Amino acid sequence: MEFSLISLIIFVIVGFLVLSILLYLINAKSRRINQYALALAKLKRSFNELDEQAKLIVQTDLELNKAQEESDKRLNSLEALHKISRLISTTLDESEIFHRLDQAFSTDIDFERGVVLILDDKKQLQIQVKHGYSQDGANFMLNQLQKDNNLMQALMEGNTFSSANCPLQRRETIKQIFNTGHFVIAPILTQVGFIGVVFVGNQSNVSPITDGDEELISILASQIGQTLENARLFEEVYKSSQALESKVTERTKQLQDALVEVQNISKTKSDFISAVSHELRTPLTSIKGYAAILMDGKLGDIPPQVKERLGKINTHSDNLVGLINDLLDISRIESGRVEMSFGRCRLDSLIENVHDLLTPQMRDKNIDWQTDLDASMPDMFLDSSQIERVFINLVGNAIKFTPIKGTITVSAHLKDNVMQVQVTDTGIGIPEEDIRRLFDEFYRVENEINQNVKGTGLGLPLAKKLVEAHGGEMWITSVVKEGTTFHFTLPVKTEEDILREREEREKAQKK
Amino acid sequence: MGTKIGIGFSRDIDTATAAQNAAISSSKSLASKDVHLAIVFSSIHYDPQTTIPIIQQTLNCQRLIGASTAGIILQHSIETRGIGILTITSDEMNFGTSCVVDALSGNPIQVGTSLANEAISDFGQHARQAFLFFMDSELHITSEFLNGLQQVYGNVFPIIGAGCSDDFHYEKTFQILNGNIYEHSVTGLLMGGQMTVGAATRHGWRPLGKPRIITAVEHNVIKSIDGKKASHLYDEFFGEYADDLRSQKLGRMAILYPLGIDVEGSNEYLLRNTVDITSEGDIICQGDLLEGSEVHVMIGNKNSCKAAVREAAIEAQKSLLGRPAKLVLVIECLSRLKLFGRAAFDEIKIIKDVFGGDTPIFGMYSNGEVCPLKTEERFKRPHHQNESVVVLAIG
Repeated sequence: MEFSLISLIIFVIVGFLVLSILLYLINAKSRRINQYALALAKLKRSFNELDEQAKLIVQTDLELNKAQEESDKRLNSLEALHKISRLISTTLDESEIFHRLDQAFSTDIDFERGVVLILDDKKQLQIQVKHGYSQDGANFMLNQLQKDNNLMQALMEGNTFSSANCPLQRRETIKQIFNTGHFVIAPILTQVGFIGVVFVGNQSNVSPITDGDEELISILASQIGQTLENARLFEEVYKSSQALESKVTERTKQLQDALVEVQNISKTKSDFISAVSHELRTPLTSIKGYAAILMDGKLGDIPPQVKERLGKINTHSDNLVGLINDLLDISRIESGRVEMSFGRCRLDSLIENVHDLLTPQMRDKNIDWQTDLDASMPDMFLDSSQIERVFINLVGNAIKFTPIKGTITVSAHLKDNVMQVQVTDTGIGIPEEDIRRLFDEFYRVENEINQNVKGTGLGLPLAKKLVEAHGGEMWITSVVKEGTTFHFTLPVKTEEDILREREEREKAQKK
Repeated sequence: MGTKIGIGFSRDIDTATAAQNAAISSSKSLASKDVHLAIVFSSIHYDPQTTIPIIQQTLNCQRLIGASTAGIILQHSIETRGIGILTITSDEMNFGTSCVVDALSGNPIQVGTSLANEAISDFGQHARQAFLFFMDSELHITSEFLNGLQQVYGNVFPIIGAGCSDDFHYEKTFQILNGNIYEHSVTGLLMGGQMTVGAATRHGWRPLGKPRIITAVEHNVIKSIDGKKASHLYDEFFGEYADDLRSQKLGRMAILYPLGIDVEGSNEYLLRNTVDITSEGDIICQGDLLEGSEVHVMIGNKNSCKAAVREAAIEAQKSLLGRPAKLVLVIECLSRLKLFGRAAFDEIKIIKDVFGGDTPIFGMYSNGEVCPLKTEERFKRPHHQNESVVVLAIG
């Protein structure tokens, strides 16, 4: 009984202990389960947060990809635009511009459809480029567009429309006209205003229009406008220049004909002067000879009055012979028949000879003679007698028109292998209107001196022609009441130059 | 004679001129009058009814196979418009071609076996090395079709495939075989003889967010994910852009975020493009899926894709067992063209870098690729996936 009680007590104690331990263990496990549940919930939350973050990443990545696509598209558009601009701006032929645009629409502009419409002379739009439309489809679209006055007016006012940006009603209108869901339509403008339209579009929903597309087509439209304007301006200029060229050709021919006629008349004149001069000179020689015989008294004494008259006949005959010789020289030079005797010559010596020859006349009028010559003058190949005639003529003229105590200056300087010669006087000067005619044959300036001094009006023309026969030029500068300068040039030539020129002249004459 | 490779390309605006110029330049590059095989990749800007007869007449080739594509991969550029032609003359390599017309209406396994058997008949008694096929991407390459091919070629035979593509409109593609142009069809090329083949694929996309379970699926149509409407997944991830996806405005962007399915024994996730979301909320994928599969939304960037290309190229090169590559064929998903944009050629530069700059490279941008994934065995079951690059090196 006692054993049983003890056993029971022990059992109860052990049971209590076991129960306590079990309760403790259950409690501990429960705490751990709670901890795990908390951790799991935390993990689940983190997992969901990560998922949410993933969604944000996808949306950000999507935006980045869209931005990259737009950026790529713009870069490609810029490249395409650059290429098209280069293509169409390197021709000024309008049909070639459209041909190149047609190619560009197929290969460089990434749209399913495109048209370029340009106003014709009757201000009607015409299809110049079509891509992705059949002929019937394009014609239908053109008719519909021209019927829509509102849209046409808006385009003429310079508005660009795209399916991305334009109001719903307008979008639907354009969509129906062009049978295209996504589009850009831009006016082509020039300085004269609206000249056409560029349209591009995509029917497929996978290729919507972006701002970049709108910019591209606006720039393209402006580029097309500029190129067409250039082409049209060029066409106008070309036509004008063609007309001008044709007029110039016609006028040149008229001038050539006139020149030939003048040359013929001049030759006839020269031939006439030559023939008449020869015919006059022969009897003049006889007249002069007979007058001399009579004056010498070889045919018997003659009264002094007769002798005086015979002297006048002799003097006038001499004047007439001089005149005829001058005329003959001019005529020969003009007809190219003159034969120059070129030889080595020093211009300073020649000028000195002229000075010696004319010193008496200068002394009579107390004229001061001055020279301004290069210190070392080259030898020149000239017909010295003819150039001496030029100097005598010019200095003689200077003496004639220079008042008492005046100055005559002769200068000669070498410049660029050409001798520049001036004969300057301090005479009465020549009015502007006379200078232009001074080298005309028989022209004499009307002034007091000329009225009192005899002259033929052939000296200066002859001097000019002699200088020209040497390859030089002659001109005059003058100030009335201050003096006149006769300028002439003489190219410095070698003996070889003279020979070569002569050969060339002979060849030309043979031809 | 050995093996000669020629590559020609033209983007002439005139269809006939482009065909002629591409054929002539390929022929010149080949430097041989005999053309044993021509592979033609053409953008959809050119009507194949016009181009293919001209190419055939110009090349006078024994076999011609080809496909429409969103882009042509060339040695020095990526071209999204044009015609590219690869020509091969070889006394070492043998070829056999085949075609199953209107493959959509046939039993997929039978389509696979017919395609494989027809190619074998044309190929003759030579050592077989690899099978390459081009399929209308509308057909959604199925595992049954691949089973059919494997029933004929065996389980360790490299099968490479490409879904023909267009210019991102997913509207119309074409397949070419020996002068004939097909739609809704599949064409095949069996290659063999004295050659080695190295094939590898990678994509570079990585999973984002927590895995979801496909709770209802019919072939390539996911009905529900985690017990909710399948489209809810994209609603969650794309937020306000989800509507754009439904209206197809975002269609071209959605391919950048495919669904990824874990494949047992492989490091790579199997990727499925979302082709469409129906008004009922079903997600239509490009390829079959299994109920109970874990599915992730995947994301990739240029760096991860470049790394993937390098891995694929190195693996394909290693498979040549030390022989130099005579030719590298590249099949890339058109989504990569979208992801890389103007920098698309960077991937080809990496392949050139691995194989050497002089190795001829020719390829296309596809809509769906088929290649065995990297697993412990050398070649295992070919998988159809998207977003990937397949490098097929021929040594």
